[in-house]
Amino acid sequence: MIETPSVDWLALSPTLALLAASIVALLAAVLVGPWLRKPIAAAAAFTGFGAATICAVVVYVDTERPAFVLEESLTRDRLAALAQVLLALTGAVVVLVSWAERRREEHGEYYALLAAAGAGMLFFVGAGNLMTLFLGLEWFSLCLYILVAFDRERATSLEAGLKYLIVGGFGSAVLLFGAALVYGATGELGFSQIAAAEAGGDAFLVAGLAMVIAGLAFKMSAAPFHMWTPDVYQGAPTSVTAFMSAATKIAALVVTLRVLVTAFPDESETWTIAVAVLAVISLAWGNLAALAQSDVKRLLAYSSISHAGFMLIAVAAGTERGAESLLFYLVPYAAMSVGAFAVVAARERELETDVRLESLAGLGWERPFYGIALWVFMLGMAGFPLTGGFFGKLFVFSAAYDAGDWWLVIVGVAATALSLAYYLNVVRWVYMRTGPELRVAPAGGSPPRDSALGVAVGAAVAVTIGSFFAAQPLLDLASDAASQLPF
Amino acid sequence: MSGPGVGWYLIVAALLFGTGALGVMLRRSPLIVLLSLEIMLNAANLTLIAFARQHGSLDGQVFALVVMGVAAAEVAIGLGLIVAMARRRLPLDVDQASALRG
Repeated sequence: MIETPSVDWLALSPTLALLAASIVALLAAVLVGPWLRKPIAAAAAFTGFGAATICAVVVYVDTERPAFVLEESLTRDRLAALAQVLLALTGAVVVLVSWAERRREEHGEYYALLAAAGAGMLFFVGAGNLMTLFLGLEWFSLCLYILVAFDRERATSLEAGLKYLIVGGFGSAVLLFGAALVYGATGELGFSQIAAAEAGGDAFLVAGLAMVIAGLAFKMSAAPFHMWTPDVYQGAPTSVTAFMSAATKIAALVVTLRVLVTAFPDESETWTIAVAVLAVISLAWGNLAALAQSDVKRLLAYSSISHAGFMLIAVAAGTERGAESLLFYLVPYAAMSVGAFAVVAARERELETDVRLESLAGLGWERPFYGIALWVFMLGMAGFPLTGGFFGKLFVFSAAYDAGDWWLVIVGVAATALSLAYYLNVVRWVYMRTGPELRVAPAGGSPPRDSALGVAVGAAVAVTIGSFFAAQPLLDLASDAASQLPF
Repeated sequence: MSGPGVGWYLIVAALLFGTGALGVMLRRSPLIVLLSLEIMLNAANLTLIAFARQHGSLDGQVFALVVMGVAAAEVAIGLGLIVAMARRRLPLDVDQASALRG
């Protein structure tokens, strides 16, 4: 008899649920007839994301204090559990958005990859050492590379996939080299052991830290590591873009927060400045470039870069309040960005072309529900009251102010004012166009009924507005999660 | 018997990493770019193994094995993409992949 290590299966259950869903969807692709593949694969992915949500909620409730799983390679705490709930809910909504995507075959593979990418993200947010960090990052990135290039008949989809693979692979290699240097400086891989073994001011450690931050910045598309984002968001199938914009950002930011706080507490003076600089560049570049865009997916891509800037302000605060404001910000942000891309997907399926600002003309009158929804998302991203985006920005700014970063608050407020220009421009195109500009009529007759997409958009609207009215309970959840980090 | 110090391994690794990074940024064929990505990952592997020997721990060696597996998966996907592009008669040139811009 050999002794087997004890495994905390509950902590792993959200990831395992999605892996199981992925396997079922993949088996459906080979075992059942073509007409049944799509419903079975989609149902498996949806069930998997739902089951992962439930498991993550159980883990959240059940975790009184942080613990380690599998020889300290994974962390079980409320931060990971809360991020997993958010990621799994996002994934479930994306399954609904994907349902009516015009694609004749390979449904099984699509949903299997979606579930596998979700599983990788759920694994990633619980990373407890540099190896699981790299493994989790590559796990979901590899799935996303394929998903981006999934529409092989479109040249732009393939081009986006190749660009994402090259730039993403470059980012991963930078992160890996940084991890190797940190390992060299401390002799440890675990985040908490690195913090304990830290030799202050070691050049290897600082260089490694810088490369780890750069590698993660590639994934969260913070400027100046954002160059892939507009191309990939535009070229990828819109439902995949929705998933990437919300879920990748949640995963990358939560892990950035975790790595910096748990592994590098002694270097906090260095990394708060580095992160603040990234935040300022992202805010400036994202907002200025968004002003010049006419393709809606590109515009939303630049908007997501600027949102990465807002979230990095919260990380740069380096305090528990910063962490809790980041976690709160992610809730309305995920809903708004999935929702906005879902509306774009609806328009794209209706017109059967790329959605430019002109293609939105008259959307508010032709499809009142999608029009109002897009209006809500745009106002929410700009931070108007009655949407959760307002409290998200407010909490981030107050955390930064408390940490003494008043200059970040000024940059943030200026960026918000600037962003009004392009968010309101979208609303203007949706409603306030008359005469000849409204001629861009649907291709032929009424669009196919797509109730799954309607449900997805409705859910996103509900969360966007609900997170304004339920701000306090959400903030309590976030602060419970943030309090388990060693500040 | 003592071999060269860890510093020498690091210099080689840094040179490899720089070569790979330059290759990714300058070369135009996606195949060479993938090759350069592999060189970058292997530079990190060399660093990990050198430090693992220095610290006398196995963590770095295990990490390097994991990285090899991941690198193989990444290259498989990259080659798959390139084959898909070649079948569609798209130009196999990173500089010409510019349908998406703005």
